[in-house]
Amino acid sequence: MKHLLLKLEPLIWLLFGQGILLGTVLLTGWVLVVGLAIPLGIVPADALSYERAQMLGSHIIGRVILLGLIVLPLWKGAHHMRHIFLDFGGAKRDVLVAPLLYLLAASGSVLAVVAIVRI
Amino acid sequence: MSDGQQKKTFVVTRFDPDRDEAPRKQSYEIPVQPDWKVLDALNFIKDEVDGTLSYRWSCRMAVCGSCGMMVNGEPRLTCKEALSQYGDTVDVGPLANFPVVRDLVIEADGFMEKLTSVKPWIIRAKERAVEEGPMRQSPAEHEEFKQFSLCINCMLCYSACPVVANEPEFLGPAAIAVGHRYSIDSRDEGAAERNEVFRGEGGVFSCSFANECSEVCPKNVDPAAAVNQAKFNAVIDWATGLVLPRGGDE
Repeated sequence: MKHLLLKLEPLIWLLFGQGILLGTVLLTGWVLVVGLAIPLGIVPADALSYERAQMLGSHIIGRVILLGLIVLPLWKGAHHMRHIFLDFGGAKRDVLVAPLLYLLAASGSVLAVVAIVRI
Repeated sequence: MSDGQQKKTFVVTRFDPDRDEAPRKQSYEIPVQPDWKVLDALNFIKDEVDGTLSYRWSCRMAVCGSCGMMVNGEPRLTCKEALSQYGDTVDVGPLANFPVVRDLVIEADGFMEKLTSVKPWIIRAKERAVEEGPMRQSPAEHEEFKQFSLCINCMLCYSACPVVANEPEFLGPAAIAVGHRYSIDSRDEGAAERNEVFRGEGGVFSCSFANECSEVCPKNVDPAAAVNQAKFNAVIDWATGLVLPRGGDE
């Protein structure tokens, strides 16, 4: 397992890095729009109406964006949790914790793909 | 020693492997000068108060990298740290995350092994003959790695790194920065070899980017940036290896 984790590390780091980018840039923008701009009336409330969201999710580009927004932060979270665990002295249990966290991220990714394909 | 001269107390970690089971603290109250560095105070203690105190130092101008110690719990080059910035009591200990040989002297063998493992020298696929002349490099190509070449191997970054503390086999900031410095040198052809080491156990991906190494670096090398660049290059190398199996980079 240790060897497999080591082999997958570049891939996981790539997903992690992209997840940070999306998590900090796009999701911050999302919170600003949904949490501030819409309640303050800066953006019209129907900008994110069901019909418009449905149209976004039906388009291939919209689906790719949604997939990235959901999947990449999941891997970012899993990898970050693993490193927090390691920082708290969990190196000995890394072979158990890391696969569990990545399995969660992978399951979430599969669920996201299924959900987005079914929109 | 004139009257009214400022005094400071130095709480110094002492450890004699032949006598002590564990490190202990010893206090020295000494007169200090306003322009002293922390190292000057240690030299005063050694010369005037207690000749048994052991520590490393050499150049006194932040170049040799040998006088790194924990000053009030922070890794510092003692020849560079003005004493005036500290209060009446200054705690001095050996660099954290290293085995202690005696008093303030640490064992650096592990670090030296890590340093050589990243092959910090120019690697060429084929040795260049002297008759072919020098390998020219533009100022821009030199600028690429210059910052990372300023490392003086003082090991402060290893004392500051939370990953080194938990995972002693981690290559660590300085070794990765120095290895990366050669990998991005336009004259070098050994990046693939180093990437193998960087992707291995205790390699670049063990870094959790706490950035503490760059915070304490006395030469502004920014090893955290080097580690992150090395991660990126290791990923690109790995992905290229998937598309172009072995031999693709020849």
